[in-house]
Amino acid sequence: MALPLPPGLTHAEVAFLAEMELVTVVPRQRLDSIDLLGGKTPVLRPPHRADLPLWLALLLKKQRRANILPPAWLHPASLSDIIHAETKLNPEAFSEPPPRPSRADPSRPGIARRQHGSGGGDDGDDDDDDGVYSGGVTLSAPFRPSCTADAPAGYLPYHWLEVAEQLLAHAGDDVAAALGGGGGGSGGTATSLSSSSSVLGEVRGLLRDLVEVRAAKLRSSTAALGSFGGGVMSLRGVGAMELAESRGFVLGVVDGVRKLGASVETARREAEEEGMDEGGDGESDEEMGF
Amino acid sequence: MDIDDILREVDPTFHSVPLEKRDLQELTRAWVAERSAPELLPWPSNGFFERINDNIKRQIERVEDMTGDMDPKTNFALIVIQTELERYRYLVRSYLRARLAKIDRHALHYLSTDELRARMSDVELAYATRHQALLHNHYLSSFLSSFPPNLQNLNDSAGINMVEAPDLDSAVFVRLLRDTLVTAKGVEDDNAVKGMEISVALIDVESHDTHDP
Repeated sequence: MALPLPPGLTHAEVAFLAEMELVTVVPRQRLDSIDLLGGKTPVLRPPHRADLPLWLALLLKKQRRANILPPAWLHPASLSDIIHAETKLNPEAFSEPPPRPSRADPSRPGIARRQHGSGGGDDGDDDDDDGVYSGGVTLSAPFRPSCTADAPAGYLPYHWLEVAEQLLAHAGDDVAAALGGGGGGSGGTATSLSSSSSVLGEVRGLLRDLVEVRAAKLRSSTAALGSFGGGVMSLRGVGAMELAESRGFVLGVVDGVRKLGASVETARREAEEEGMDEGGDGESDEEMGF
Repeated sequence: MDIDDILREVDPTFHSVPLEKRDLQELTRAWVAERSAPELLPWPSNGFFERINDNIKRQIERVEDMTGDMDPKTNFALIVIQTELERYRYLVRSYLRARLAKIDRHALHYLSTDELRARMSDVELAYATRHQALLHNHYLSSFLSSFPPNLQNLNDSAGINMVEAPDLDSAVFVRLLRDTLVTAKGVEDDNAVKGMEISVALIDVESHDTHDP
């Protein structure tokens, strides 16, 4: 009964999470709102776009009830911009995650405010979650609309690789139709078959480049792990699948380094505790095996 | 629905995240956290899981009602509902099984203090207690009974502690929901980094604490 998997999400589980990402569809059939456990689906009326979770969008796509609009960041121009930024502009860091969308602030008309901003919120009024901002809940990765048609170009969302793979695999024609027109709009449907497949090939090639560039960075960041004394390393901008890929390796290295330095660490902590002359909080249960 | 709910709905700053979606997000986060953390995390005690179970039960009943009529239009809705139901149940199942795996591995540890017991739900606590008793009885009847009485315990803490505890110092990945300070205990130095929201940080210790900036 108990789960036999080691701690840390596996690839399949990350892919499962990615299927909760919202994507934009253009329905081809009417479909009434369905009362699901995760909330009601929007009513689908043919020419109107709607945002649905990826798994549902793919289901509709398979039944030819809807077309999927790929997110703007999947456009070849956006992808090559990101690759340029990753290789030339800032070859050390990963590209920035998408910014929070801005909204009009009703208390100060005319001033835009970052949604769920952490600066101006008067926190601490309800629930127990630490992700709570005034009046509601902070949405995080699979629930933020970072893969819809409105998502900004030039930023990779948390589940970028998984969503891109799924879209290319199951909705390749839609991706080609939307991106093939050059400008991106809906006018690209008339492109010939050969050009649409070339667009797909281009997107696939760019994605592969991006995967390789970023994988190389993640690998080289393990060089920093060797001298991983500080305890914290920022991996801002890394995607979920990339984390899953390197989790075992990175955690193994960190734990190995930690065990090697265990005696140093305990000595330092003891010295600190003596210096501060106050009871450490449960530090005595450190048993490092050797 | 009371006056606060109504007010919140007309308030444009509240980007009305419906309860169902919040529940799904909370469940997803609980699952991800439970799958990634080395130790058992506290059981959500605010009736959250009871609510989720009720919702699932109600949805199953709806599916049973709907399977009766063969109208092709509702038929598709049924497919969608069942797909979603399965996804939802997978989350719940995987969450519970991940917890069960941790309880199985370190049963005596989680039963050792009241504080640790409080992390388990009533059912989990009953399971852990009974399972541990069965196991101990089995050991006793197969080989432990031939040992001297003072060596028959499984939780001997004199000398090397027999109760195995999860490695609370192992490294974890932490995803930040907003700008906050991340502190960690490293080998050479304790460190605090001001993390940006939605960045992912690698932390060398499980028991980190976060502060508002």
